[in-house]
Amino acid sequence: MKSVRIWFKKDFECRYISHLDLNRAMLRALHKSKLPIWHTEGFNPHPFATFPLPLSLGFRGINECMDVKLEDDNYSFEEIIRRLNACLPRGIQTFAVTEPKMKAGKVAFASFTIRISEPKTPSSKICDDLKTLFDLPSIEIEKKSKKGMKTVDIKQGVKSVQIKEMLDCALLELVLSAGSSDNLNPNLIISALERATGKEYDVDITRNDLYNSDMELFR
Amino acid sequence: MVSKEVERLLLKVQKPGRYVGGELNEVIKDKKKVDVRFAFCFPDTYEVGMSHLGMKILYSLFNSYDHIWCERVFAPWTDMEELMRSHNIPLYALESGDPVSDFDFIGFTLQYELSFTNMLNMLKLSNVPIKARDRRELKNIVVAGGPCACNPEPISDFVDIFFIGEGEEVDLEVMEIFRECRAQGGDKDEFLRRCSKVEGVYVPALYEVGYNDDGTISSFKPKDGAPAVIHKRIMKDMDKSFYPDNFVVPLVEIVHDRAVQEIFRGCIRGCRFCQAGFIYRPVREKSPEVINSQCRALCRNTGYDEVSLSSLSSSDYSQIVPLLDKLTSWCGEERVSISLPSLRVDGFTDEIMNKIKTVRKSGLTFAPEAGSQRMRDVINKNVQFDELMNTCATAFAGGWSTVKLYFMIGLPTETEEDVVAIAQLGQAVVDTYYKTEGRPKGKAVRVTLSASSFVPKPFTPFQWEPQDTIPALHEKQQLIKDSIKSKKVYFSKITYNYHDADTSYLEAVFARGDRKLNKVMELACERGFHFDGWNDCFDLGKWLELFEECGIDPAFYANRRRSFDEILPWDHIDYGVSKSFLINECKRAYENKTTLNCRQKCSGCGAAKYGGGVCFEKRQDMV
Repeated sequence: MKSVRIWFKKDFECRYISHLDLNRAMLRALHKSKLPIWHTEGFNPHPFATFPLPLSLGFRGINECMDVKLEDDNYSFEEIIRRLNACLPRGIQTFAVTEPKMKAGKVAFASFTIRISEPKTPSSKICDDLKTLFDLPSIEIEKKSKKGMKTVDIKQGVKSVQIKEMLDCALLELVLSAGSSDNLNPNLIISALERATGKEYDVDITRNDLYNSDMELFR
Repeated sequence: MVSKEVERLLLKVQKPGRYVGGELNEVIKDKKKVDVRFAFCFPDTYEVGMSHLGMKILYSLFNSYDHIWCERVFAPWTDMEELMRSHNIPLYALESGDPVSDFDFIGFTLQYELSFTNMLNMLKLSNVPIKARDRRELKNIVVAGGPCACNPEPISDFVDIFFIGEGEEVDLEVMEIFRECRAQGGDKDEFLRRCSKVEGVYVPALYEVGYNDDGTISSFKPKDGAPAVIHKRIMKDMDKSFYPDNFVVPLVEIVHDRAVQEIFRGCIRGCRFCQAGFIYRPVREKSPEVINSQCRALCRNTGYDEVSLSSLSSSDYSQIVPLLDKLTSWCGEERVSISLPSLRVDGFTDEIMNKIKTVRKSGLTFAPEAGSQRMRDVINKNVQFDELMNTCATAFAGGWSTVKLYFMIGLPTETEEDVVAIAQLGQAVVDTYYKTEGRPKGKAVRVTLSASSFVPKPFTPFQWEPQDTIPALHEKQQLIKDSIKSKKVYFSKITYNYHDADTSYLEAVFARGDRKLNKVMELACERGFHFDGWNDCFDLGKWLELFEECGIDPAFYANRRRSFDEILPWDHIDYGVSKSFLINECKRAYENKTTLNCRQKCSGCGAAKYGGGVCFEKRQDMV
């Protein structure tokens, strides 16, 4: 039995499917590929796959990963990629297989590239608004929790910010807290921006990489 | 493939994965290299439409021809529709992202009457004129098929061509005529005239209907050499009939998210309320060998780990046990489970149970349809009380503790006693559970009684019957509820639910409607009616207002008893079952007399004229 981490991109049409749908698509591909994936041993056995950090609907992911266990060690990583890609839609394609170096729970940060535009607003203006937003001592938003609405300061979750002015958009590079305990969804930052400016933006979010708490690449 | 404009809307709607295509096995072609573009429209949501087997068969069949590109179109849910309208985005096909108005053919499958408004709404969203006569050119030919095409009259103003019967051959023939006509520079009228000569094609514009003072039909006259009677098409040899070895595998969860393997068409039973039991005659089976190999290919190509065997009344498949043997020989190893969704009460044997149990145990559903034996005889269900109890005992002994039973209320000749018998039958099943040795230990039985309202349908022996009025249906629904409550001891174990009578009423109006209803449909489309099959949107009150505005009494269609000699709106269509047979069956119903099924004895319905299927099988009593 061997644990492997399968790396894939989620893009094109497939950015619009939820994590649950991604999970289903992956299980079906694993089943179809006939790779010797370890199955759960319950009443209704199914291939077992875990995702260190789910990706929100609508985001592109260029370095996403999934952990599975192989019952047979004799498959080369190239073979796994080849077989899986033949069974996946074009929006989900695997490109690497590694042996997991870190446990899934070690994910602490994620980096994002966000393109923000609005037909009637020049990029420079959006950049200025972003700078104003991030210069605030705190960015407070209302968040739904189990005990009703509560106010949280999302700036706590922002590790680093870069703002670049592009021809057709403002480019925002972010590193945010990620993982099961302290996760900051970049959509919350967009909401804060929209609330501050009263505008509605077209947003294109890509998740680039995952990191551990020492800002080492998650591998 | 979706446009930038559409992408900007996707994050604002629920389940955007429905609007993007890009699934595994989707067919992409170069539009410059194809000759005929066919937009296959399902007038409901993606999740519903993608579960439909007929669409999968025709999609693969059409796309197996290099010169045809068939793409899929579904009705956008209300949130997406609203955004598309406000952003001036026309309805598009999922594969190319091209607007539906670019297509040569716009084809609809009509599975239920309440999807008619969605068909019109989809045309409207496509910026295609909804009325056939307003589409003058030889393009955007609107065609429609499916069970509701058996009475196409309420929507005859909107559709250019109806396909009567099974579409595998006739659809392709019509596309060939289209290619010829276009190559020869012919116009739409000529194209329609030529198509009308093809068996299985009904061009409503080529017929004139006359009416009597009382609103019934006085005459039905063909024009321009169109045939007086339109005969349905069938695939005679199911083993040779096209079947896809691949399905488009959705990215988002759909209603029936599994592989589907057709095992036969038609039904031997002849339950008198069931339209499918008559219009798909005669029964034509696939051989176990063909089913087995098609099934295996399908599972391998889709990656599905579940396959359901599809047909009406699956346990009537003559070689069900050998078939299950073949399938289970590889299903276990390949981790594929088999489900048999359409089982009759008398078809659930130990042997079948053990074969499907090897993989997964889901709830069991049976449809006795009526509570009393008399009522079951009237509808020719041919299920005995003892059989039902034995079947339930078999299931309970096999580890099941949940049973769902389907019934209908408002059946012809139904009395209060018959209605109360539904509750009594549920009680009897509960009692059977506690009498069964080897039932699941320490588990309470759960029986669900589900009652829908009878809708008289064309081409059934009950096509002349009035539907119960809505208040009468409500009374019967309440009567069942009260009858269950009287047994307080077991109350927690019986769940009862019933279908909304309002939707059944509208269904009854459209199922047996005539051409006068076209103007109601048109007005409904103008007013933005859609998704009438969904409780979120359906409002009978609004429909009644429309009927009143049009000066049409819906009760004329739903609640009126028709005489055997009245010209029915669908009399010019021939599904192979003769009217005299249906009349005879109706009379037998009044006498509580059952009719033997096709394998026991031929009752001469007329379907033997197709020269195939069960009509020519050797019957056991003849051997």
